[in-house]
Amino acid sequence: MLKVYFYFNIIFFLLFFASGCHKKDDFIENDQLKSQLIETYLKKSKDKEILVSERKDNLEKAYNLQSTLKDNKYKIEKIHEISFVYYDLNNREKYKALNEKALKLSFLINDSLNVARSYGYLGIYYRPSKLDVAYKNFYEAEKIYSSLNKEKYDTKVIAFEHGKILIDIARLLQRTKNYSESEKVTISAIKSFNLAENEKFLPICYTNLAIIAKYMERYDEAIEYNLKAIEYEEDSENYILQKIISYNNIGTIFKSQKKYEEAKEYYNKALTFQEVLNMRPGRYARLLDNLGYVNFLSNDLTEIPDLYYKAMKIRDSIKDKRGLITNNLHLSEYYMSIGNDSIATNYAKKAKNIALELNENEQLLKSYDILSEVANNSDEALEYAKAHIRLNDSIQNQERLSRDKFARIRFETDEIAEQNQQISKENEILIIAILGLTALFLLGYIIFRQQQSNKELLFAQTQQEANQEIYRLLLNQQIKLEEGRKLEQQRMSEELHDGVLGRLFGVRLSLDGINQRANDGFTEARNKYIDELKDIEKEIRLISHDLSSETLPSDVAYIDAVENLISDLCEVNNINFEFNNDEEIDWEEIDDQKKVNLFRILQESLQNIFKHSGAKSIKINFDYIEDKINLTILDDGIGFNSTKVKKGIGLKNITSRVSQMSGVVQFLSNKSTGTRVSVSVPV
Amino acid sequence: MIDDHPMIIEGYKNTLLGENQKEYQIKIDIASNCDDAYEKIVKSSETIPYDMLFVDIKLPPSSDGTITSGEDLAKHAKELLPKSKVIILTMHREDHRIHNILKNINPAGFLIKSDLTSSELLLAFNNIVKGKAYYSATVNDHFRKMMTNKFSLDEKNLKILYHLSRGVKTKNLPNYVSLSLSAIEKRKNQIKEMFSISKADDQKLLEEARKRGFI
Repeated sequence: MLKVYFYFNIIFFLLFFASGCHKKDDFIENDQLKSQLIETYLKKSKDKEILVSERKDNLEKAYNLQSTLKDNKYKIEKIHEISFVYYDLNNREKYKALNEKALKLSFLINDSLNVARSYGYLGIYYRPSKLDVAYKNFYEAEKIYSSLNKEKYDTKVIAFEHGKILIDIARLLQRTKNYSESEKVTISAIKSFNLAENEKFLPICYTNLAIIAKYMERYDEAIEYNLKAIEYEEDSENYILQKIISYNNIGTIFKSQKKYEEAKEYYNKALTFQEVLNMRPGRYARLLDNLGYVNFLSNDLTEIPDLYYKAMKIRDSIKDKRGLITNNLHLSEYYMSIGNDSIATNYAKKAKNIALELNENEQLLKSYDILSEVANNSDEALEYAKAHIRLNDSIQNQERLSRDKFARIRFETDEIAEQNQQISKENEILIIAILGLTALFLLGYIIFRQQQSNKELLFAQTQQEANQEIYRLLLNQQIKLEEGRKLEQQRMSEELHDGVLGRLFGVRLSLDGINQRANDGFTEARNKYIDELKDIEKEIRLISHDLSSETLPSDVAYIDAVENLISDLCEVNNINFEFNNDEEIDWEEIDDQKKVNLFRILQESLQNIFKHSGAKSIKINFDYIEDKINLTILDDGIGFNSTKVKKGIGLKNITSRVSQMSGVVQFLSNKSTGTRVSVSVPV
Repeated sequence: MIDDHPMIIEGYKNTLLGENQKEYQIKIDIASNCDDAYEKIVKSSETIPYDMLFVDIKLPPSSDGTITSGEDLAKHAKELLPKSKVIILTMHREDHRIHNILKNINPAGFLIKSDLTSSELLLAFNNIVKGKAYYSATVNDHFRKMMTNKFSLDEKNLKILYHLSRGVKTKNLPNYVSLSLSAIEKRKNQIKEMFSISKADDQKLLEEARKRGFI
């Protein structure tokens, strides 16, 4: 063993080097190596020539190695294989544990075929003792096999495996006396095997059918099935064995029909295969026992009780306890028939004890039957009769229970599947509903957003309109004011020119005229004052002229509005101001929106200054530089940290207004130096 | 004497009646508005026509609205009293006004009130009585300016220049001059061409017009 290990190590080592840096390949080769190793171990463990302990050793190694495999599918395969060997080696617990592991793994990788197989193998584990658990496992496997995607797998292999599961189910059903159901399933199994073109398990199927037919008292049919079972084994090594079994069964059928001679014939026929029977002492003993019992029943007592004792000896030697029960019962029956009640009681009690031990209720029932008959006194007889009745009831109950249990298992698994389906359906509906709702919500949200933005747009539009309206009103007011002023100036000008000037002229002329005629020596002096009057006239005329010709350009209105705003606000807030407007700016040519925006920016800035800066004086300039209007607002207030202060609504408004005009705005502020707002807007 | 200011008429009287009383017998009728004046002119044309009319330009218009100024009145007087000497006395000294008055009335005397002294009034009076026309220095100045230009501008062009110089925008000119905007633009271009500054702006045009005495 060590040598082998060493050898593999070397190979591994070499392979490692050969593969060099191809790390990816390492795993594959690693796995290949491992699988080779496992195969070797398995082969050894299966070798019946080797000592059992060594086989177990190898199996252990194979088992340990399999857990390090990376390919799950392959791993499951190996687990199954290993489990079979454990089964062979009579380690049923290991067999069960391995298959449970395989089942888990198969679920993990969603390998439904291996799930079915694992269920089937677990069913086999529970088959001898826990019928319901076994049934459950087989049933699960069966469901998977019948729903497997046939195209994906080899049909024959699947059909064969499916058949095996079906026959197992059928036999379980038969054991619980659910004959009609069992018959149905057996026929399905036969169909599967036919599909698989594999006759290996057909004899078992027919044997099962025969048992059912016998119980249902269709004896001819039962015999026919037994013969068919033999037929199917014709070419196999089990031919003789099958013959023995079938002949024994046929004998029993005849016995049930009370055709004892035919029964004897078949038992004897079976007993001719001495060679095989030597290797199967259990079967041999049963045949002997059965033959003896038929003899007894047909009142041919020549070989009795020798046949019984012969059988009992064999059974004792192989510890065939089940056989011993029948044996003891037969003997007790025999002794009862010849009136030796005490011996009969003895055997019957033996039978009863073993039957109790093995839970063989049928046999136990029979033993109670006999015991009640051969009892010494009526009390004892009554006791056994009562036990018989109790047992009989409980047997019937149990049978009914297990039938119910099977039905329940079927129902539950189907229900679970249905529930799963229901759940998946519900999930589907839920998902669809959620998706639908999400879509609806999204749609709603989009519509909401759309409406919102529409509203915003509408709002912006109305605001713009309102701005323009405000400006128009502002301008109108200013123009009206201007017109009034102009009118008043005109009136003053005319008044001065035509009224005051005229009268002054008249006065001067009169004075002049009188002065020319006066000869009091003051003419010259008066002339001087008359000339002065003339100068005054001139001045008044100039004023009048100025008044009338001072036609204010209409764009002055805007700047006047601006100046009014500044002076009004500054007056209220007690701040000195300086305002300069570049004459180059042709305000009349600039569109109203821009004028309103600049007006509002100025208003906003002034509000900020008044509210926050504590400035003593401000300076506002409109400059015209390179087709751009630059508005600069300077104050000597406390300023703010322009990088840190979060923009308030005021600054935001200014920024948005400036960007509306595709201009640039800059807020420059430092503690102590005040704030400078520079707005530059293209004309 | 037609003037809406009694004080002015008083001034005229004081001047004329002092000295000249000895040489001439002067009889004076006065009117202070167009209605009055027109009535008296009509009346005199039927009886003894006035030898001389002192007409102010700015006068309260007639009640029927046909006579709005001394200028209109002077026109009527010239028709009704062809032998009368019309003397215009006005406060207005704007070139285009002087120009218009000269052109429409061709008065015997044209005196700008602001220039006027009593001695000048006497001088004018005496000249006109002798049949000589008399114009104030300002009016003469206007004549001189007109002469130095090889060309003259018509009334409308002068008006355009005048209003432009007052600061009226071209687009508002139709409100002041009874011409369409396109006609005004055309005339402006003509003026510029005459000044041989065809591509100049309004600023340049006004400068040139001032230099040449049209404003």
